[in-house]
Amino acid sequence: MRLFLVCIFLNYSEKINLQTDLRSKFTMQKTLALVITSPPNSNLTTTAINLISAAIKENIKVIGVFFYQDGVLNAANNLHFPNDEYQTQAEWVVLNKQYNIPLFLCNTAAEKRGLMVEDYSIGTNKVRTIHNAFTPSGLGELAQLTASADRMVQL
Amino acid sequence: MTDNINQAKQIAIINCHSPFSLPVGRESLDLALIFGAYEQNVSLFFIGDGVFQLKKDQHGEVIESKDFLKTFAALPFYDIENIYICRDSIKNRGIDKTDLLLTNINLLSTSEISAIIHQHKVIYKF
Repeated sequence: MRLFLVCIFLNYSEKINLQTDLRSKFTMQKTLALVITSPPNSNLTTTAINLISAAIKENIKVIGVFFYQDGVLNAANNLHFPNDEYQTQAEWVVLNKQYNIPLFLCNTAAEKRGLMVEDYSIGTNKVRTIHNAFTPSGLGELAQLTASADRMVQL
Repeated sequence: MTDNINQAKQIAIINCHSPFSLPVGRESLDLALIFGAYEQNVSLFFIGDGVFQLKKDQHGEVIESKDFLKTFAALPFYDIENIYICRDSIKNRGIDKTDLLLTNINLLSTSEISAIIHQHKVIYKF
């Protein structure tokens, strides 16, 4: 088991080093990654979105956002906030679709909070509980982001 | 190749919450083990109510919580050896160091803990 994990790690580390080399050779662009552990109605989540927008303007590359703990609730499908509230999920979708920022989500944390990673059926209806802008993944993704990013921010 | 990464990043995970009221303690431990499995340099800190996670003889199942505390025994297998506990926090909460689950730990003052946290490049707080 341990050996297996180490093998996966070596695989990852090659990728990470390759990315780092390419980055340092061809550009001086700084990289940022975020971990969101706050729910969508938290102002910390809003702060994270503002921080990413500012980073994009400063030409900092945001290599990924990882949603963990109550942060996974940001990915729930069919969230709808009152019009006079901050539209957290709509902002995440813009960051993903327009700026190609990957939004990763911890499978285990999501399932523990009632979000099913796989679509499921109720009668003849397919039910999707995760918004399609978000990519279900494992904590290994967070380990990789942590190793790759020049700066990691948790909010 | 792995050495480059290890030298580049010192990761701190700071635990500040009691074990069963929120799932944060368990998820923090999961993350620590993943970093261990990826051979990253990770240190664990327990401050404030976080020290309650390390108290012996707790029975989460009595309050419908899964008992994740036994997983702390796995830390050495993942080469997670830098474990720092706030001496003032355990004293204020009436916990003696003999009441703690882990034996291979460093009991430090708040200022010593602060100095060590500053040596880390990435800080996660749960």
